[in-house]
Amino acid sequence: MALPAPPDVPSIPPPTRTPLFEGSTQFRNWRFSQQQLHATRVSLNRSAVTAIRNTFEADLPGSSSDIQFLESKEELLLVKLYVTKISQLCGHFRFPEEVEATGISYLKRFYLKNTVMDWHPKNVMLTALFLATKTTNNPISLEAYTSNIPRTSASDVLDLEFLVAQSLAFEFAIWHAHRALWGLWLDVQDLPNAPNRDDLQKYYDTAVQHVRTSRLTDAELIYPPSQIALACLSLADSDLAATWARAKGAESVLQIIPSIKDMILQDGQVPSVEVVREIDRRLKVCKNPEKVVGSKAYLAKKEKEEREAESKRAKKAEGVRKAMEDGDPFGDELNGAATAIAALDDDD
Amino acid sequence: MSGASRSNVGGWLRGTTIRKGATPSTTRSATPQVQSTSSTVFGGGVKDASGRTSEFFSMDDQCPVCKSDRYLNPKLRLLVSSCYHKMCESCIDRLFTLGPAPCPICNKILRKLAFIPQTFEDLVVEKEVAVRRKIAKEFNKRREDFPDLRSYNDYLEEVEDITFNLINDIDIPQTEARIAAYRKENASLIERNLQREEAYAQALKEHEEAEKRERQLRADELRRAEEEERDAREGERRALIDTLAQSDADAGRLVARSKAEAQKRAAARTSAAAHAVQASSALLLRSRAAQGAAVPDVPHVAIQDDWYAYEDMFTLRPSYFDPASDAVRRDREGIMRAGGYRVEEAWERALRSAVAGLDLPPLVGLAAGQGDGDVVMASV
Repeated sequence: MALPAPPDVPSIPPPTRTPLFEGSTQFRNWRFSQQQLHATRVSLNRSAVTAIRNTFEADLPGSSSDIQFLESKEELLLVKLYVTKISQLCGHFRFPEEVEATGISYLKRFYLKNTVMDWHPKNVMLTALFLATKTTNNPISLEAYTSNIPRTSASDVLDLEFLVAQSLAFEFAIWHAHRALWGLWLDVQDLPNAPNRDDLQKYYDTAVQHVRTSRLTDAELIYPPSQIALACLSLADSDLAATWARAKGAESVLQIIPSIKDMILQDGQVPSVEVVREIDRRLKVCKNPEKVVGSKAYLAKKEKEEREAESKRAKKAEGVRKAMEDGDPFGDELNGAATAIAALDDDD
Repeated sequence: MSGASRSNVGGWLRGTTIRKGATPSTTRSATPQVQSTSSTVFGGGVKDASGRTSEFFSMDDQCPVCKSDRYLNPKLRLLVSSCYHKMCESCIDRLFTLGPAPCPICNKILRKLAFIPQTFEDLVVEKEVAVRRKIAKEFNKRREDFPDLRSYNDYLEEVEDITFNLINDIDIPQTEARIAAYRKENASLIERNLQREEAYAQALKEHEEAEKRERQLRADELRRAEEEERDAREGERRALIDTLAQSDADAGRLVARSKAEAQKRAAARTSAAAHAVQASSALLLRSRAAQGAAVPDVPHVAIQDDWYAYEDMFTLRPSYFDPASDAVRRDREGIMRAGGYRVEEAWERALRSAVAGLDLPPLVGLAAGQGDGDVVMASV
């Protein structure tokens, strides 16, 4: 809360104060318009298809002509299915809601920077959830985690961990709609003619279900959590939600709410397994061969990386040798001329 | 000591005779000591903070000269010669009682008094410690004695060089000559630095003693105050009994009155005592502060951020109907709140999150907003 202001400073807050939510990374880096989301996914899909096609062609010319690549819509459907898988896993592990919501957000954000054809969601999902247990302070040991999921080894989870964290730009903190709903529900009790406890409980339970459904949609990438929570409450009891919004002096939000409600009702369906299975079957053919361990393209890429690393090492060794020749490396560097060596020693 | 001219090179390394600690303690935690079995007082060795010499001791000890070991002679005590060879006390008595004699291992001439107790298991370490201590006594120049860092580093380099040579027996005569030359050149400086160090050590000791005295004084004061209080209480009790015996007033009232008086007096006493203790500890604090005056004490400035936390958008009620937090609130022993968890804070956070960005319009169109959509494929 606000600290008591020192006496010589006027206690009226300056008008430039930024709201807390607008300082969050969620607002700054993970808030999009529907059009932006669409454009991002399409362009990601397009560039991935081009890259994979080139790889296939380099391997065997003409081999890519009869491959049916995934479209961005199909990718999204696949991701959506794995979002439901996270919920199932969380139910199995009895993780708190916070972990579930965080893991799902990570998965969705990851696929705004990567495509399904490069990284299959079945692995990314495990990593995202494991990462979420750690970032939300509900840690579980890796052994306990993998031993409870069939056909999973520790490396499946850990291999992608850095990649996922990097794709999230290490922005792990997330403002969740379910917390906003909790606060909203508490605050509703402050209204002059608040409903009785049984009704309150009923509305809350319904609204929580809607919040869970909203995780299948893009809502959290477009709207702030408070609005999603209000929309979910509005789905449970629209009068109560409207009364509360008016009491808060935020009538403008009532124009936004219907679109969120529509989104939850329309996009909140769990994708049919048959459709997704078909997508997954096609994905087996068109996934990026550079990421399939053992394939020709994979080996070629590894070799190329090795060559680059080798040349870098050689360059560094050369630099060190030169520094040795120029003079005693420990002798004449007292006056701050040691920067040359320091510059060579950047990462590896 | 001009060892360079003598035939037994490295002679200056001979340990000077330092008196052993007055009370040879029987055991020390790390390195067990054995009591000396001989009447000879051996000096040297490394002393610990309390001024005692701790000795190395092992069940596998064996005298290399007479081959007697701890199994045969449980009181076996091995000492180290100035050429860093071990032998037992009885061998030393046998070989060196009649005056200087050659070492049975390396033939260097040794004296009985130059044997020192062993502190470290590794004799190389023993030797290194001795050499370094010796060297430090004379090569005691400081950074201030040099015009620039370069020359100071050169000096340190030279000292290290000499030390290394002595430890590893490389070019002993030349090294001795170097030391002698240095000593001649810097005699006055060495003397001055020695005095400086002594003065510093003296000041430190004096200060410590003053502090100790101060503490002692305070403890005495407290004890005296306590004693006085006990006496006073005793007196009151006796007076009460006397009055009860002599007067015919109501016993209950008398007891109550005396109790009240006693309480008043006790309060006065404690406040006086606290005053005295406070005064003396304030003195101590002042003296400490005077020492620490070199480090400026920057006043703490709290973080002044200008975030708007939606304070005007909600009011936190003292309690809510909230089944989710029932368990925590009903937890009488406070086990769930042990880590500092407060339901009120969780509520406040939730409320804040319920009103955060409530009137934020959604982004529209392709124009990159704050998000800037830096879509890059992450690569491994």
